[in-house]
Amino acid sequence: MNASHFLRPDSPAPLREHQLGINRRHFFGRAATGIGTAALASLLGRDGLLGADGGTLPAPNIAPKAKRIIYLFQNGGPTHVDLFDYKPRLHQLHGKAVPAEYLGGKRFSTMTGDPSGKLMLEPVEPFKQHGQSGAWVSAFMPHTASIADDLCFLKSLHTDAINHAPAISFLLSGAQIPGRPTMGAWLNYGLGTGSQDLPGFVVMTSVSKGTSCGQIFYDFYWGSGFLPTRFQGAKFRGSRDPVLYLNNPDGLSPTLRRGLLDDLAELNGMKLNQTGDPEIETRIAQYEMAYRMQTSVPELTDFSDEPEHILAMYGPQVREPGTFAYNCLMARRLAERGVGFIQCMHAGWDQHNSLTTELYNQCRDTDQPSAALVQDLKMRGLLDDTLVIWGGEFGRTPFIQGDLANRERWGRDHHPYAFTSWLAGGGVKPGITYGASDDLGFNAVENPVHVHDLQATILHLSGIDHERLTYRFQGRYFRLTDVHGRVVRDILA
Amino acid sequence: MPLRPFQLLFATLFLPIVLTSAEPGREVLFSRDVLPILSDTCFQCHGPDANKGRKGDLRLDDEADAKRERDGHRVIAAGNADASELVRRLLSDDPEEQMPPPDLGRPLTSTQIATLRQWIAEGAKWGKHWAFERIERPAVPETAHPIDALVQRGLDETGMRANPLAPPETLIRRLSLDLTGIPPTPGEAAAFQSESIRNPQSAIQNAVDRLLASPAYGERLAWDWLEAARYADSNGYQGDNERTMWPWRDWVVEAYNKNLPYDQFTMQQLAGDLLPSATKEHILATGFNRNHMINGEGGRIAEENRVDYVMDMTETMGTVWLGLTLNCCRCHDHKFDPLTQADYYRFTAFFNQTPVTGAGGSPQTAPVLEIAPPEAIAPRDAARKVVAEQKALLAKAAEGEKAALEKAVADAEAKLKSLETAVPKVMVMADQKEKRPTFILDHGLYDAPGEEVNVGVPAAILPLLGDGELDRLSLAQWLVSREHPLTARVAVNRLWQMLFGIGLVKTAEDFGVQAEYPLQRELLDWLAAEYIESGWDTKALLKTIVTSETYRRSSAIESPSDFENDPENRRLARGPRFRMPSWMIRDQALAAAGLLQRGIGGNPVFPYQPAGIWDEATFGKKTYQQSSGSDLYRRSLYSFWRRIVGPTEFFDTAKRQVCEVNPLRTNTPMHALTTLNSTTYVEAARVLAGEVIKSSGDENARFTLTGQRLIGRAPAAEEAAIWKRSLARAKEAFAKETGAAAKFLAEGESKTPAGLDPAEHAAWAALCLNLMNLDETLTKE
Repeated sequence: MNASHFLRPDSPAPLREHQLGINRRHFFGRAATGIGTAALASLLGRDGLLGADGGTLPAPNIAPKAKRIIYLFQNGGPTHVDLFDYKPRLHQLHGKAVPAEYLGGKRFSTMTGDPSGKLMLEPVEPFKQHGQSGAWVSAFMPHTASIADDLCFLKSLHTDAINHAPAISFLLSGAQIPGRPTMGAWLNYGLGTGSQDLPGFVVMTSVSKGTSCGQIFYDFYWGSGFLPTRFQGAKFRGSRDPVLYLNNPDGLSPTLRRGLLDDLAELNGMKLNQTGDPEIETRIAQYEMAYRMQTSVPELTDFSDEPEHILAMYGPQVREPGTFAYNCLMARRLAERGVGFIQCMHAGWDQHNSLTTELYNQCRDTDQPSAALVQDLKMRGLLDDTLVIWGGEFGRTPFIQGDLANRERWGRDHHPYAFTSWLAGGGVKPGITYGASDDLGFNAVENPVHVHDLQATILHLSGIDHERLTYRFQGRYFRLTDVHGRVVRDILA
Repeated sequence: MPLRPFQLLFATLFLPIVLTSAEPGREVLFSRDVLPILSDTCFQCHGPDANKGRKGDLRLDDEADAKRERDGHRVIAAGNADASELVRRLLSDDPEEQMPPPDLGRPLTSTQIATLRQWIAEGAKWGKHWAFERIERPAVPETAHPIDALVQRGLDETGMRANPLAPPETLIRRLSLDLTGIPPTPGEAAAFQSESIRNPQSAIQNAVDRLLASPAYGERLAWDWLEAARYADSNGYQGDNERTMWPWRDWVVEAYNKNLPYDQFTMQQLAGDLLPSATKEHILATGFNRNHMINGEGGRIAEENRVDYVMDMTETMGTVWLGLTLNCCRCHDHKFDPLTQADYYRFTAFFNQTPVTGAGGSPQTAPVLEIAPPEAIAPRDAARKVVAEQKALLAKAAEGEKAALEKAVADAEAKLKSLETAVPKVMVMADQKEKRPTFILDHGLYDAPGEEVNVGVPAAILPLLGDGELDRLSLAQWLVSREHPLTARVAVNRLWQMLFGIGLVKTAEDFGVQAEYPLQRELLDWLAAEYIESGWDTKALLKTIVTSETYRRSSAIESPSDFENDPENRRLARGPRFRMPSWMIRDQALAAAGLLQRGIGGNPVFPYQPAGIWDEATFGKKTYQQSSGSDLYRRSLYSFWRRIVGPTEFFDTAKRQVCEVNPLRTNTPMHALTTLNSTTYVEAARVLAGEVIKSSGDENARFTLTGQRLIGRAPAAEEAAIWKRSLARAKEAFAKETGAAAKFLAEGESKTPAGLDPAEHAAWAALCLNLMNLDETLTKE
């Protein structure tokens, strides 16, 4: 494990260079050129790390608990009332009209339109309490239930957006309109990376086989917005080549490539001496990182060093690139290698008419790997300083979408007024449930947690005051939480 | 070219130029020195936004309010800094009184406080934001090129020394890349060099004239315009259906090539349909407004979509012509600029007359303009008729005839579909007959209309001219009026940014109060005045700029201290040096190899792309069908742009989702992998190597040609020594591994010429690929 995770602007200078990905020793060793600290400082300044160009991360005043974050993002809006948020009264009201007092001028998607008169729908599967903590989890999620004592359930989340893309954008970037930096980009920008051989923010996506309604993974879900693009998520593809153009051309051997890159660095070093442009030094460093990724990425994706019992924990799909199970194991391997923000997105949680059909596949494909990841991190002692977050962009209506008589086509519509996520590790209290929705799972009523509050809390766990991680753009200081957000202190360990 | 080994002995810290400061003996100017401080540190709570957040019943953006008497004191007591509450609060160490409040964490510097004190002491003279002042042509001495004279003034003030001129081989490469996006051929470079020796002035004039007359000029300028216009070949969002807006893209190329004056360029794109006796070309131009994304997601409310589209049209106009970030005003009055939420919705009212309802998600939502020769339209119309006839027959057919007729309908429809795709339909603008009312939308929500507003513009910028019915054409005419303070400044700034890598105003998208005061204000204004008074002649303006010494200077950092003082070259002592846009790097590689196809316009093409990219992004619904033959080597401008997953070979481009005018220039390992390993570059290296080998048997002659093709010059002796070493490494590696050379040479579709020794060819190809990754190759310097 690399000891230098999350280096900060106030770290000693050599570490700062390290943070930039500049292996100066390597460079000077071969190219024998000199460049002073001013050039390096300007490089830092240009990239905003020292605040010369808008970056304004002051000295940390919060002890960082989470050195790395894995966000298991469930696109589509997992149905909180069927999975985690147990509401016995839904059984009593099953088939009855939604009580008017819960509606109060609320806006729903056009698929629902006017919600009055809609019929309530009971949970599809039974709920039970689990573990010492007695957390309620439905039979859809047996593996997650088995680690309930490691989890902190947030049952009072609520959001402003009602359709997928704006809601996901809102959760990940703090704004419904695309184009703002996402959480991973903010953290990558603010804290740098702990890995010399891999990018600091990595994204992977998956979707269950046979899912009829998959949402698109827009690249603004991991964009850097107005932050420099080197802070954006590096999207690993769900195939044998997770990084594009990683492989040397056919016939060009690694030895020859190494030699050619040495020659290239020397030629670029001459140019650096001649023109004094510090950008050349960055380029030399990035070509070196590219070369290291040619080695580190195949090594990262080679699971042959994983013992059988570990692979088995993640379930049968773990060997298939592009599945959620594969991505969860990749997430652990990336975390071990010092990558700071890992975003695994799984689509297909949009059960408008498939609560009794596709929801089972959805849970089968994600329940076991999610639980395995938490257990695996815990066994390795990594859970203490790794924050794992599971959740989507909103919940689903406690009333039915579809025909009550046609069980095969039961569904629920988008529901932004209450939904559930869970957190594990990284400085969060284990084995608790925080906040509550009302007796129908309709509105967050006890300790409501707005999306901006969740974001503020995640930054806090990383050692960042969300009001101070700002970037000046278009004449204004922007931040992840806009002008909102409060840290949910009650869940901090 | 001899290498000049010089060590850069920098001091320990770099000090950026302080753009706003109270320098002893220097007059404090409101717009340059005071307004930026007030705006940056005070307006958030004491600014124009009346809806929320204004604190303490104080407006510091309003002279009368800031200076009025309140309970015996004044926030600003003109002429008396010590009697001013503002100064007292700034200096207070009581956290209850201190301004800005300490918990904002953004205190003023002592220099800023000194500036405000001096300004108040000198009478607190109020003014206007600089970018809203009329564009006046500054006086310049007639002895020098006006640009150089103005730049020299700034250099003299700071004691900086201008760089010498770049050598001819550097200059011709710079000019060619800047004006056409394609490097000079060795022949063009040689001709320029020899003419430069005889007559440097005529050499540069002739070269610039030749480049501006090249059809490649229009293609080069079009790229930046397409990014601003969020042009793409698909809708975006789920489904991401393909559209056929490319005839509009070709209109842009042609408009640049025929040097359509920028005022016409503006009016035709914003309101060509409303011009008296509008031609088909005028209507085609209005496709500009329709390049926005279209959301066909199930469950979307049509009106919500429609409002989104209108806002996108409005905000794009705001960024491209006004250089203002209007989007803040969707929800509230602007925090900094004197723009109200009502101003925003008055702007939207110009675009709100579109007949588009927001329903559906067709990539060819009417109004559309069919762009096709009659020979494509006639058979399509005939096929439409056949379908209608067959359907009519089917409707009244007896049971026994139905099966056969159903098949006939299906066949006719299939035939029609293929004929329809041969008739591109460009979405264009029109106004509906019945006027649609426009409302202020609370928080920008389509279903929360407030007060009704009419078309209008913010008087703080320039009152709208004329009277009667105001429409988009009135808006366009307002934008290009001589009195408009923004349009010309914003436009020349983008051209400057294209050439120098950074605008005279760094934020090309924002000329508002929060934008920096331009260090070269006189230069910006001179260029803007020149642009307007030349009749908005873009080619003439570019020629004026690139023939200046300022543009022609060497980009090397000659003096460590000059670099420390001005790392971003804002004082313009040096020529520009920055990594080229990724599309230009690709075009350069194809040109260097002799592969580049120079045909202009037409259907988008599908160059090399790794398998599976589209499938993964669309859940298998779209599969990339790679082009073959010459379409693989068209200019990057013509690559098909799928909005949800753009072409993979480009990096740091605009995302083509919303208007973007500020180029990204990052430096990542992914970029390195692209130019090291992707098929385009491997193939171009192989083809270039083949040409180099065939050109001569002499190794040095081959090196010279390779250098000329890639970096516009032959290598220096020290460089050639390393090239030689690379070649030896490659020869050895390919000799050692049987079959490796053949594999390496097999990449890409083009044929390898006969008669080349595979081991030698592969070794030269490996060298060329490496040299395509030189910093110098990737950089315009």
